[in-house]
Amino acid sequence: MADGANAPTGADDISKTYDLLPKLIPHLDRHLVLQIILFLGTDDDEEGPSKEILQTQFELLKDSNMADYLADLYCKIHDTSEPPAEYAQRRDAVLQQYYSFQEHTAKMLELLDDDEVVGNLRSDKVANFNYLKETHGVTMDMVNSLYDFGQFQYSRGAYDHAGELLYRFTVLSTDNDKIAQATWGKLACDILRPSDSPAEDAQKWESVMEGISKVRENIDTRLFSAPLAQLHQRTWLVHWALFPFFNHEPARDTLTELFFSAAYINTIQTACPWILRYLAAAVITNRSAGRSRNTSGYAKQLKDLVRVVRQEGYEYSDPVTDFVRALYVDFDFEEAQKKLLEASELLRNDFFLCSVADAFVDAARHLISESYCKIHQRIDIKDLSTRLGLSQDEGEKWIVNLIRDTRVDAKIDYQAGTVVMNHPPQSVYQQVIERTKGMFFRTQVLSGAVAK
Amino acid sequence: MSRFFTGSDSSDTSSDAEELYSGEEEEEKSEESSSEAESEEEEEESGEESSDEETGARGVNRFLKEVSDESESEDEDRVTIVKSQKDKRYEELEGTIRLMENAEKINDWSVIASEFDKLNRQIPTLIKQNNGKTPKIYIKAIADLETFTTDTIEKQKVTPKKMNAAQQRGLNAVRQRLRKNNKDYTADIEAYRADKDGFLEEEVAEEIVPAAKKAKKQPILNLSEQVATGDEEGFTVVGAGGKVMQYTPESILKHLRTIIEARGRKNTDRLEQIRVMEKLLDVSATDYQRVRVLLTLIATRFDLSSGSTSSHMSPEQWKLAEGELNKLLKLLEDNRAVMIVQEGAEEWDDDEKPPPLSEANITRIPGSVVSFVERLDDELTRSLQHIDPHTAEYVDRLSDEGALYTAIVRTLLYMESLRPQAAKDKEMKIEHPCQPEENINRVVMRRLEHVYFKPSQVVNILEENTWKAIPPNLDSQTTPRSKPKDSATLIQTLCTYLFENSEGIIRARAMLCQVYFLALHDHYYKARDMMLMSHLQDTISNFDVNTQILFNRTLVQVGLCAFRQGLIYEAQNSLQDICGSNRQKELLAQGLQMQRYSQISPEQERLERQRQLPFHMHINLELLECVYLTCSMLLEIPLLAQIGSSPDIRKRVISKTYRRLLEYHERQIFTGPPENTRDHVMQASKALAAGEWKRASDFINQIKIWDLMAQSGKIKEMLAEQIQEEGLRTYLFTYAPFYDTLSVATLSQMFDLPDRKVASIVSRMISHEELAAALDQVNAAIIFRKGVELSRLQSLALTLSDKASNLIESNEKTLEQRTQGTANAFERGGPQGGRGGRGGQRGGRQGGRGGGGGPGGPRRGQGFTGGALGRAIQA
Repeated sequence: MADGANAPTGADDISKTYDLLPKLIPHLDRHLVLQIILFLGTDDDEEGPSKEILQTQFELLKDSNMADYLADLYCKIHDTSEPPAEYAQRRDAVLQQYYSFQEHTAKMLELLDDDEVVGNLRSDKVANFNYLKETHGVTMDMVNSLYDFGQFQYSRGAYDHAGELLYRFTVLSTDNDKIAQATWGKLACDILRPSDSPAEDAQKWESVMEGISKVRENIDTRLFSAPLAQLHQRTWLVHWALFPFFNHEPARDTLTELFFSAAYINTIQTACPWILRYLAAAVITNRSAGRSRNTSGYAKQLKDLVRVVRQEGYEYSDPVTDFVRALYVDFDFEEAQKKLLEASELLRNDFFLCSVADAFVDAARHLISESYCKIHQRIDIKDLSTRLGLSQDEGEKWIVNLIRDTRVDAKIDYQAGTVVMNHPPQSVYQQVIERTKGMFFRTQVLSGAVAK
Repeated sequence: MSRFFTGSDSSDTSSDAEELYSGEEEEEKSEESSSEAESEEEEEESGEESSDEETGARGVNRFLKEVSDESESEDEDRVTIVKSQKDKRYEELEGTIRLMENAEKINDWSVIASEFDKLNRQIPTLIKQNNGKTPKIYIKAIADLETFTTDTIEKQKVTPKKMNAAQQRGLNAVRQRLRKNNKDYTADIEAYRADKDGFLEEEVAEEIVPAAKKAKKQPILNLSEQVATGDEEGFTVVGAGGKVMQYTPESILKHLRTIIEARGRKNTDRLEQIRVMEKLLDVSATDYQRVRVLLTLIATRFDLSSGSTSSHMSPEQWKLAEGELNKLLKLLEDNRAVMIVQEGAEEWDDDEKPPPLSEANITRIPGSVVSFVERLDDELTRSLQHIDPHTAEYVDRLSDEGALYTAIVRTLLYMESLRPQAAKDKEMKIEHPCQPEENINRVVMRRLEHVYFKPSQVVNILEENTWKAIPPNLDSQTTPRSKPKDSATLIQTLCTYLFENSEGIIRARAMLCQVYFLALHDHYYKARDMMLMSHLQDTISNFDVNTQILFNRTLVQVGLCAFRQGLIYEAQNSLQDICGSNRQKELLAQGLQMQRYSQISPEQERLERQRQLPFHMHINLELLECVYLTCSMLLEIPLLAQIGSSPDIRKRVISKTYRRLLEYHERQIFTGPPENTRDHVMQASKALAAGEWKRASDFINQIKIWDLMAQSGKIKEMLAEQIQEEGLRTYLFTYAPFYDTLSVATLSQMFDLPDRKVASIVSRMISHEELAAALDQVNAAIIFRKGVELSRLQSLALTLSDKASNLIESNEKTLEQRTQGTANAFERGGPQGGRGGRGGQRGGRQGGRGGGGGPGGPRRGQGFTGGALGRAIQA
């Protein structure tokens, strides 16, 4: 996704008009934003990221501890090879701080690396702490220094190390507020941790998911009496969750469910309706994955999505939600087709969605044709192909596949170039059977429960 | 004659006690502000009682200080009718006292009690006539009575004999009243007790004056004509002369006290008091005195209307009160550093000297400016309620609102300026700290209530004039002068202030006001979201009736707003509760509704009258009905067509009122051309049901009342469009069974809609399973499926199966409730299928923001407004 102000070339009007970055930034950590901006950079020409993007990066990281990187950026921006001295100073200061932190936490870390010590730890935090205090002279300050060190490392960009430190802190500390913060920190570290192999990647996202569920639990239980804080934190969580959402296939189901849960759908509707784009994209692309398991769940999600999109139509709309509206609210297929084109363009330029753009288009086509076939009895293949944005041959192939996949009762009239759908009305007998199917079983369970 | 006797009676004692004069003089000086000369005069009088002539002249002189000799010479002609009124009062008083004394002798307490009451009724006028002095004999009487009462009670404790019940009651009554009453005269009573003779002596001296006069005038009663004029003249002069003498800056506080004490008593002449205070205001020298006088004066002005039966203040009084309030505010603003007016402050007891004004120790005057403003506001509303809204008088009166609004804003400014003082008080832990916050909330609320229902241009003008009227050195913290004077921002600021600082009812009202304002200015979604997020629909029944009325008004306004935006379904839904109830007038407090079987007592009716909104705040009821019926038509006609064509009839009624009207209309044998709004809508409905959208559209557009809405042209367009679409749907529902295929082009021609729109509408109907059909893309036609009509048996079977599954569900639910959800064995998240897809979606959409409203949400609301208010009214 390109930021209108920062991308001089490359991004077209659509993605500029529907740019979400300014809306997303307030809800993300600066390091997370960095990822998105870096993406903008790579998206551009070969000659490297433009100055403006560099400048943005620079502004973004000005307050962080990544002195080297900053110096580097500075050089690139000002076309010099000699960074000003302040960065060297800063670097020294940071290093010094680093050493002092290391010193402070050395004992702690040593202890925690000691198998014997770790073996003696139980699930009770207070008992653990007492044990460490008595046997090894650990103080609360030492535990807290872990937290500070973690924060420092994160700010330096050493996410891996920071994550580890924060994890250890959460295990030992009894300060609930700090633990909550450390959990957020750990989540950020996990998201940002570089991974080399796919296996490692999967593992990384697994831990991210774990972090998300932890944070979620935290929000639900700890902030129970503060609705506003709850709303804020949920908004944050929703934004952060976008990272695993589109980078980790298995997470998508869980997250879709999370987003659709009453509390979070309310959060999205009140605080950040733009998330609907991602939700819609996820639901639509989920089609292929969802089909295999249960179609009813998918239908329900779709219904929910249509409802929410319709409700929020006055507050937020972009090609993706417009597509949903056109298809399911207005039943205007031409409009849907137009919006689909725009949406695919948009998706390709979106940091989160670029990877699923093709899947989205594919699934969206399926949806169009499905609902088209449901309504029509006879369809001109040529017309349908144009509607789907395909050539006639492709279109025919598409329809054949569709007929095969969905087992629609349909035939192609080759001569006339049409598809004839047969919509057998659901027989009354079938309906009655359908409705009374589970009754006997349910009654049995009921009587069993009463007898208990 | 008795007059004379009393005089000579007491003169016996007086001549005995001549030596006491000096002492008496002292006493008199302290008690009255009479001059030295006067006491000398008295001395003389009592000394030479025999020389009636002289004393009489002197006595007159005493009252006629400024009257020339001429008037003296006129003495001959003067008649005593008016004077004798005063004397008569004295006589009456004495008579009462005598009766009381007699009753005391025989211990008849019931007589004593009644006489005592009578005495107290007489005394205020006498005090007034006597230049604010209490007649001595009265003091004597009550002092004696007190002694006697205590004696009796003492005695009663000793003697076993009981009094009878009536007596006992009388005794107790007297004792209680005495205790209360005598407090006011403690000083006098003490003086009397200390020196019974001396005290009365003095009285004699005083008594003599009128007595002598009377004696002298007795023979000249014949010249009635001259007498009247002469006397009147003389009297006024006397009065004026006497009074001017009294109204010195020093005595102001004392006068005020008398007036305050007389407040609430029977037979106090408030107009007279007001006149007195106006004079006091003129002579008052310091700001402190002025503030004190104004506080009392304004309060008395309000009292004018409260006791009497005329339920609202006269405009003249109102304007005077308003002017005085402004004066008061000005004084307070100027003296902010040294004195403040606040509730619950200690009263300053010393009437002789004003409290020292200094910045270090701020003077607190008890009173409440906010209450005055509120009262002023209420009085204006009340008088607007009573004026016929179609007269020029109403408009005149309404123009006072500007002044009132200015006063409100000014009070707000004053209250805000008290904030630093409040902080200081808190620091110093003063016993009665100044607490402006709650007052500010009240004033802000009043301000809000004057703007929320007005279109923004009006509010802008109001604001502008207000700021012009307020001295430029004042500025508000909440709504600073420099801020852009946009009405939306103003409302927003005021409401936000109340959200943050107030709670309970004020906060709820603020929310409703803001929603109302938003709806009035076509911000439908914002208004709706706020309305839903406030969750007021759940709790509104716990609020007072006025807030409920505001809620109803807001609801209606939101509905109208939705209608203007073309959101028919939402509009109908919002208006349903109010308009469907048939009690619009009552629910919106816009007039009393005559009900055939009403059992409203006069008391309830009076209360309801009080609640009525002034005319300029009304929502046009006819327009409301028109909107409601039109919306109902657009929703009901397709529904009726749908139900009519499908055999499995689920009776779903959107608007009962509309259905009833429609039935009534259909029963008519002859239908003439439409006359009123209702007729128009009904005939339009009929046309729409027959598929004649053009005629329906014409009927609707003929309704004149649309012109009252802003942008009526646009609204008519919107309605025409809606009628086209709904007409198409109705047509399809109604005539589907008779067609095999139907070309889209024909339809689009018939309903004057673009092909795409027709296709879209048909698609939607097919997709929602409302229409058993499919589209043929090649021929651009609708192909109706045949053989889908169910036989009676089949549809019954379907209904049965539905009912059976409902039964199981409710059984499960019951069991679950019994077992508190422990038996979760039946968690079957089975979707209910496409059943009522459309309905479900609609319901969901409404409930949405409120958080899990579901389809039940909006329905549930149906009962609350009417029901709650109804209950409140009955109660």
